[in-house]
Amino acid sequence: MDAALQILFGGLFQGSLFAMMAVGLALIWTTIGVFNFSHGVMMMLGAYVAWQLSAWSIPLFIVLPATMLIMAGVGWLLQASVVRPLIGRPNIVLVVVITTLAAASLVENGVLEIWGPRSKQLPTLIEGNTQILGVGVSMHQIAIILITPVILGALWLFLNRTRLGLALRAVAQNEDASLLVGLNVTALYGLAFAIAAALAALAGIFMGGYRFMSPVMGADPLLKALIVVVFGGLSSISGPIFAAYLIGFFEAICSYYFGLYWTPALLFAVLILMLMIKPEGLFGAKTRGLA
Amino acid sequence: MSGLLEITNLTAGYGRIDVLHDLTMTIGAHGNVGLFGPNGHGKTTLLRAISGLVKARSGSIRFGGADIANQTPRSIVGLGLVHSSQGNRLFPDLTIGECLALGAYTPRARAQEEANRERALKIFPKLGERWNQKVRTLSGGERQMVSIGTALMSNPAMLILDEPTLGLAPKVKEELCRAVLDISAGGIPLVVVEQDVEFLLELSQHLYLVNHGQVAAEIKPGQTMGHADIMALYFGQ
Ligand SMILES: Nc1ncnc2c1ncn2[C@@H]1O[C@H](COP(=O)(O)OP(=O)(O)OP(=O)(O)O)[C@@H](O)[C@H]1O
Ligand SMILES: [Mg+2]
Repeated sequence: MDAALQILFGGLFQGSLFAMMAVGLALIWTTIGVFNFSHGVMMMLGAYVAWQLSAWSIPLFIVLPATMLIMAGVGWLLQASVVRPLIGRPNIVLVVVITTLAAASLVENGVLEIWGPRSKQLPTLIEGNTQILGVGVSMHQIAIILITPVILGALWLFLNRTRLGLALRAVAQNEDASLLVGLNVTALYGLAFAIAAALAALAGIFMGGYRFMSPVMGADPLLKALIVVVFGGLSSISGPIFAAYLIGFFEAICSYYFGLYWTPALLFAVLILMLMIKPEGLFGAKTRGLA
Repeated sequence: MSGLLEITNLTAGYGRIDVLHDLTMTIGAHGNVGLFGPNGHGKTTLLRAISGLVKARSGSIRFGGADIANQTPRSIVGLGLVHSSQGNRLFPDLTIGECLALGAYTPRARAQEEANRERALKIFPKLGERWNQKVRTLSGGERQMVSIGTALMSNPAMLILDEPTLGLAPKVKEELCRAVLDISAGGIPLVVVEQDVEFLLELSQHLYLVNHGQVAAEIKPGQTMGHADIMALYFGQ
């Protein structure tokens, strides 16, 4: 009983973090067709911005939306500076890998310069711990487990039930046709980056509340998000969301029975096996498109 | 003059190559306009320049008095100059209903969305039956219907159709020709590129032969012009 509960909480918690990171990556891939290797530093920068705002003793319920808004702006700028000028190039996927990696290293060093190397910690979303059926969990983790599905559900509704969301899903599928119905393609590209960065920032705030922050804290979550989208398939955002929780549970089970040390190796083994059997991803269709 | 599309000394092309050379043409003064000409001589390029997808290197394009040369496609469709492009793949992963909803994206079109949807479904009842089907699973004819239907949703003041019957089997082609005639009868002025000269003659009173990126011949209303004359124009006397 204890084991099952611990795995359940661990899986939901990790899955939430993975999902929050992965949807942004998937959103950018499905709208623009590039991989954003700055996604990890967007998470990290989000955590630092939130830390700075908290240090000015702004209350958390303002820090949260303010950070997401600021980071949405940063995401927009990132897109305008290192992605938009390259759109239309035949080798755009590779070039953007390089430009976003460059931007990532720039941001990383900038953060180091501004906030220094000393590790910091964010306040938790909700303080304290609680017992659920005899298992101790922090309120911070419970908050993350509960907030994430709400945010992801809102994103899903936005993409599937609003005309702007429809435009975001359409723009990747046919640029000329998008232009001919009057979509503002560059603005939609900016919007995809803005949403992705805001969600990454939220993940950063989640993480900064239970772990020490550092300028490189985004590297591992970026890798995990990449794994999640490859695993879940890139044809939709629901695929990566399911995959995120699946991997969360897989990790929780592995680390419970085999220990943290073996978890990454086992995860990669499963990933490679799955890619051999179903290269388009677990829930993926063979094309790009968002739903 | 309102409703008139005037192209003056237009030069446009791709990369280092000019496709259109100093092309001048007036559209809308004498009803529907039909464009024809050999493959690869710039008909599609002309239509793309009109709707802002291809840069005009020199010359002017005026629609209803406003200069639209090198405006964004978004502002051009916003004026009601709507383009259903050649061999349109559309949005493969959207449903028919979603495609039509996107057609009504501009504020101008959104105000008329209900009426335009009704009109599109009246002309293409099949779209209503397949409302939730993904575009990628449609046949060529059905896809063409979605393309024109989406254009109708943009509330066109003038509608540009680039080869609406390209590659279709005779029966489906017949269906689409009738639909295009219906649209015209509904009062929307058309600019149509077609290989099928018979259809073009039935639809339009005003024709241009586009050859080597220029207007090689113009047939105005009143000038009777039969199939044989057109063929003579096509292949040179
Ligand atoms: N995207 C492009 N890049 C470079 N050249 C192009 C492009 N599109 C068309 N062309 C060239 O421009 C010329 C005119 O092509 P266009 O499509 O305008 O002709 P068309 O009259 O519409 O022909 P068709 O009847 O086959 O549709 C052709 O030589 C074509 O190869
Ligand atoms: Mg053509």
